[in-house]
Amino acid sequence: MAKIKIATAWLECCSGCHMSFLDIDEAIIDLSKLVEFTRSPITDIKKFSPVDVGIVEGSVGNTEEEETLKDLRANCKILMAWGDCACFGGVCAMRNTFDKEEVLKRCYIETESTYKGKIPCPPGVPALLEQVKPVNQVVKVDCYVPGCPPEAKAIQYALTELLAGRIPVLPSEMMRFD
Amino acid sequence: MNEITLTINDKQVKGKQGDTVLDICQANGIDVPTLCHFKGLTDVGACRMCLVEIEKERKPVPACTYPARDGLVIQTHTEKLEKCRRLILELLFAERNHLCAYCVASGDCELQNLAYQYQMDNVRYHYSWPSLPVDSVNNYLVIDHNRCILCGRCIRTCNEITGVQALDFGHRGWKTLVCADLNQPLGESSCISCGACAQVCPTGAIYTKSSAYKGRPVECTKVHSVCSLCGVGCEIDALVKDNRLVRIDSPELANDRGLLCHKGRFEQLYDRHNRVTGPMVLNSQGELEACSLDEALNKINKKFSELKSHPGNGSIAGLASSQACNESLEAFRKFMANTLDSQLVDTLDGDEYRVITQGITKFQDGAKLSIETSLEEILKADTILLAGANPLESHPVVGSYIFRAVTQNGANLILVDPLRNVFSSRTSVWLKPPEGKEELTINALTKAIIDKDFAKDSIDLKRIAPSVKDINVIQATEEAGINTDVLHRAAEMLAKSQHGIIIYGKGILRYGNPELITSLLNLAAIAGSQDRGKPRIISLKPKGNSRGAWDMGLANSQNSILNSTAKNNVKAAYLLLADDYVDEPKLLDNLKRMEFVVVQASYLSPATYIANVVLPSPTWAEREGSYTTLDGTVKSASRLLQPPGGVKQDWEIIHKISKALKE
Repeated sequence: MAKIKIATAWLECCSGCHMSFLDIDEAIIDLSKLVEFTRSPITDIKKFSPVDVGIVEGSVGNTEEEETLKDLRANCKILMAWGDCACFGGVCAMRNTFDKEEVLKRCYIETESTYKGKIPCPPGVPALLEQVKPVNQVVKVDCYVPGCPPEAKAIQYALTELLAGRIPVLPSEMMRFD
Repeated sequence: MNEITLTINDKQVKGKQGDTVLDICQANGIDVPTLCHFKGLTDVGACRMCLVEIEKERKPVPACTYPARDGLVIQTHTEKLEKCRRLILELLFAERNHLCAYCVASGDCELQNLAYQYQMDNVRYHYSWPSLPVDSVNNYLVIDHNRCILCGRCIRTCNEITGVQALDFGHRGWKTLVCADLNQPLGESSCISCGACAQVCPTGAIYTKSSAYKGRPVECTKVHSVCSLCGVGCEIDALVKDNRLVRIDSPELANDRGLLCHKGRFEQLYDRHNRVTGPMVLNSQGELEACSLDEALNKINKKFSELKSHPGNGSIAGLASSQACNESLEAFRKFMANTLDSQLVDTLDGDEYRVITQGITKFQDGAKLSIETSLEEILKADTILLAGANPLESHPVVGSYIFRAVTQNGANLILVDPLRNVFSSRTSVWLKPPEGKEELTINALTKAIIDKDFAKDSIDLKRIAPSVKDINVIQATEEAGINTDVLHRAAEMLAKSQHGIIIYGKGILRYGNPELITSLLNLAAIAGSQDRGKPRIISLKPKGNSRGAWDMGLANSQNSILNSTAKNNVKAAYLLLADDYVDEPKLLDNLKRMEFVVVQASYLSPATYIANVVLPSPTWAEREGSYTTLDGTVKSASRLLQPPGGVKQDWEIIHKISKALKE
């Protein structure tokens, strides 16, 4: 049987979900017999090639992240969201209670350590979106593993379910938002 | 009680007329999810989590507000209902900023638990991301409106349980916020910081500063105990983690005695003073120096034995603080009476005891403190006379009872107090005599009732009338600077009361005048009526276990032993202070004149600094023992924390001294 192809991406996040995934420890050996990771944040591959499962960590906060997410969605059959940022907006979405301009000013001009600050602007850097969004407000998402980060066993559960041909829904006892 | 039969989820269940559908579901173990429901509060159907389908009802209805009827056919967990509940949860999450990863309540949140239960792994709606204020002006409480789901539990608690009515909804529609008074910061409002709102809050919208991030309930041990700060004797559930108090909750908020106040709930979490962690003796440089317990006991033994064997050289007095538990006080009493053979025993609040009991005896020979009524009676009162007391400061839970009687029963509140307090603005009548004219005012009230012939069926009329017969109400009111009509109004309220309560406290006791107490008792005997009920009386005693110490006879001496130290040739004193912080100048001056002072205390205070020997004492949380409430019920408290290494229980140390002296 051909290996299931998986591509992962991280958007606006802390990479904690990917770290938590690595916490599945030795189970990763068995997993690697069944799946192939075509692209992940450490491959430096810019564009996605078609895969079976796309995994996304983080929320959508700028134009680049939006593009990456849409590219991933276009190239995967099933899209899974990892972590509170991807599922709900998470910590990144704290900025949504302020205006974009306010956030940029605070960050690049007003911070106590900044001297003669300047707000960076496109095309040098991707433009910030007005609001940080969870991924399901940008593309269709098939399954979710919430948690900040999700526990390794929850990620493992979700992957095992997917490999068994089912769309995973975390049981209540595995659910956590913190 | 009419029994009714309903069909819930195809099963026949029984309930009684007057139950709601939710009551019956809960009584029969059917788990209907709720958020705005809280046991003991009026149900309002705000959150819609408890929606159920009832046959012949057009649409799902909230179970918490639907009165159960005989023959109803109900479904509680259909696919449609479960979908509705999940939808409600998503809308609640989308409405404000419920981001658990940085919420103080995460792991102890009903909204979060329900989201887990309903496997809410995403929200299908756009978030509104409001930018709402966080109010942290209050000393103990924080309101974070971003976490609020507007269930209104806090508002109903503030209204129905605390009786303060500080909280309410402010603004309209989706801008609705929980507001204090006229949208004041909580710390500047009429809030009394009882913390009940934080206990009932299902999310992290109202939380307590002292407990935040100290540990989640699952990580803590829950210990049931009794608060000993004042004589109300509220029961508490203390959450303890790593020998530290994390939080104090009320075990059953909706019970009459389920309330807690800011002192019981919050103040006890802070150690405001430096601890005495081991025995200390005064060294030759005049400084306290840590020593072994044996060394301290030897020193005490030497001095006490010397005085005991040569009574002519001086006597030993014993003073106890009524903050100590009954067991320690009893050990202290036996030690003074049997081991030291000293009759010079008193409590720090002995003067109050003598005033109260002499007042009672003057009113009726042989009567005792037991003529006082229980605190729950306040809740049933229709007329309350509050004389020289500010319960919100001294006994805050009593203050809440008064608020509740006023707001819920529409009770008349009559204040006799020269000073303004919180109750002044909620009174029906405020009689404001100048200081020292309280007795005249109270007697004028009694006379006014007699003059108006309201008291004609009182069996005490003949006995009491002579004591006030010389009073001319008009002259008396003029002298006390009180409007005569207002006094007559108060007199009429008291005379017609069916369930009157007279509460007095520090403001009356400070005069040291038993006549004042007698005048209040006379008023109680004249007011009301034989068939409708006479006003009952409650004195607010100064310390947590005053009643216990007094009942034990610790304050039975005729006069304050402090005033007669010279006469009795007192040369040494033994003070059991427990966790009382003593800085009363008169007491300290007296102690300074003695040759030898032993202080057994939890905290370093001005009193410990004039001691020759200081012995450690556990704090309330480290003690195990019983306390007598101000209305005479004995309640036992558990040990919540392990005391620091060198600290032993008070009675253990007293037994040790006693044993050493006998040898």
